[in-house]
Order: sequence, then C-alpha cells, then structure tokens
Amino acid sequence: MDTSRLWSLIRFIITAIALLAVWLLFSGSLEPFSLIIGIVGALVIASLTYNEFIAQHDASLRSFLPRPFALAAFSFILVLYLYQSSWFMLLAVLSGRVNPRIVHFRTRLRSDLARMVLSNSITFTPGTITLDLNDDHLTVHWFFCTTSHARAAGDAVKGRMEKHLRKVWL
Amino acid sequence: MTLARELLALLFFASAVIFGIGGIIGLFRFPDPYSRLQAGSLCGTTAIFSIFIGALLLSTSLAVAARVVVIMIFFLVSAPTGSHIVARFAWNSGLQPWKPPLSRRSGYTDRQDEP
Amino acid sequence: MRLLMLDAMQWFCIACALFCVLRMLLGPTSADRLVALTVLSSLVLGFLVLRGVRENRALYLDVALVYDIFGFLGFLAIARFLKDKFSDGDSPE
Repeated sequence: MDTSRLWSLIRFIITAIALLAVWLLFSGSLEPFSLIIGIVGALVIASLTYNEFIAQHDASLRSFLPRPFALAAFSFILVLYLYQSSWFMLLAVLSGRVNPRIVHFRTRLRSDLARMVLSNSITFTPGTITLDLNDDHLTVHWFFCTTSHARAAGDAVKGRMEKHLRKVWL
Repeated sequence: MTLARELLALLFFASAVIFGIGGIIGLFRFPDPYSRLQAGSLCGTTAIFSIFIGALLLSTSLAVAARVVVIMIFFLVSAPTGSHIVARFAWNSGLQPWKPPLSRRSGYTDRQDEP
Repeated sequence: MRLLMLDAMQWFCIACALFCVLRMLLGPTSADRLVALTVLSSLVLGFLVLRGVRENRALYLDVALVYDIFGFLGFLAIARFLKDKFSDGDSPE
C-alpha cells in the first residue's frame, strides 16, 4: 500500500470518527439501533466527503489534530481575552475616543486549520474583526489602531494568541 | 452552596446587562457599519456569553447543564462566523472605514494616512 | 431569587432586541441592517437558553443548539443575495 492510499484511509477514518462523535452528541443514546444507524451513516458520509473535510495537501496528522489539553487551555484563555478587550471596548464606546483603521499583516502559523482558528479568535474578541484571510495574509479592521506598520500591528493584534496557538497546532 | 451559585450568577448577569447596554449605545453612536459591528459584538458576544455562564450556574439538572456547555462551545465558533460574513460583505462591496476627526483619535502616532 | 433573575434577563434580551429592530429599520445601508441582524440573532439565542433553563426542559435547549449551529446560514444567504443584486449593475446604496 503506497503512501497516498494510506493517507486517504487515515483521513477517511478520522472523518468517520468525527461524524460519529457528532451523531452521539445529538442523539444522546447508546441503544443498538441508533448506534448502528449512526455508524452506517458516518461511514457513508465520510466516504463521500473526506476529501473536503481534510485536504489532500495537509502535510501530516500534527497539522490538524490539536493537543487536547493545550486546546482546552486556549479556549479558557480566549474567554479571559474576551472579557479584557470587552472592557476596553466599553470604555471606548462611552468616551468616544477611537481610531478605526484597516491593517494588514502576516501570520507565522503553518497549517490551514490553525490559521482559521487564529482569524476566528481575532473576530471573537471585540475590537478586532478579520475581513479577509489569504494563505498567511490577514486583513483586519482594528478599532484602537496605534500604528500602521505591518509587523507592529501584527504583534499588537495577534501576538499573544499566536503564541498560545503554536502550542496547540504545529 | 446554592447561595454562592446564585451570587456568582447575579455577578455574571450584571456584567451581561452592563455590556449589553454598552453595545446598544455603540450600535446607535457610531456612523459606519464596521464600527457598529465592533460595538454590536459587545452586545452580541460578551453579553450573551455572560448570560450563558449565568444560566450554567443556575441550571439544576445535569442534562440541562451539559447542553448549555455544548451550546457555549459551539458559540465560540458560530459567533465570529456571523460577524465575519457581515464584515466580508461590507469589505467586498467596497466600503471604506470611517475615520474620526483628529482631535478625537486615540493614540495614533504615524504620519502617513495609507499603510 | 433564581426564577426572578432568569425572568429579568429574558426581559432584558427582549428590550435589547427591540433596539436592534429599531436599528434595522433605521439603518441607512444594507450592511447596517445585517449588523443589527447578527446582534438580534445572538440575543434570540440567549433568550432561548434562558427560557430552557427556567423551564428546566432539555428539549428547549436542543432547539437553541440547532439555532446556534445553523444560524449563520441565514446571513450567508442574505449577503450572497445582496452581492448578486449589486453586481448586476445597480450601484450600492
């Protein structure tokens, strides 16, 4: 069995496991009938969609399987960042001293999933919204702009999140 | 135990009220869609997340609490997706962000206007 | 105390939703209306969760979960529709 066949099999199995987990979450029962329907459905849907779920060009398992403890820690830290930037946002709304501007910068994360999670986290915290994501180039609407220099703006907007995300994915 | 949980829930509900009112004020105060989206996410994300935490603290049965936790986890993904769709729509239709007058800007040091 | 807090937060969600509807009616451009719609949909989600916790019924929270996951499809459809309309030759408002 050559490498690409093996890689397809691995992607198929991971897609089926993810679909089965969602099925168990929604059905919430472990009766044999519902379990068999879930397994058959997961296998059929995974055979149709595993190419879209995990792209062929992803380098290895490490690029999309997160480290679970680091991921849990990251979501907790994200909630803390949410409250911190909400507080600054509230003061800005009440005082009216803002400086909205569009900045461009690049990210150092390598896998597609990690970049998607980074732009999602940037949008989740009030004060920054990702407008566009091309490969590693992010366009961000920043509400408290202090500089338009790409590297400095990138450090201020995403530096802390990227540092944590590099522990979760490659 | 019950009293402590209710006091914590009261704290989170109070913060939800504060952030929600701030978001509504920002929704009416700023003049362009990007700024309104930033201020609206204060009401649409932070206040709702505080409401979820408070509801989680006040839920009495395990089935309800587990569902609230699942809703919170999916909310981490779904809330930015909605904002991003709207912001991308505004960006693709060629809308330029509003710039406040110089006296009201906060801490901007560069000279040139364009990056 | 518990039921009082949950009821009060439901009324707060309804009050915020009314202001969002006002913004949606006032909004000069279609992007403003979409912004109000995103906030409105989050408020509806919070209301559903509060209602489910107050009545202590897991079935209501299942409805909220599905609304949470598939809620953004509506914005996607509206944004796509408006983009197609603008690119047909009409200038944006």
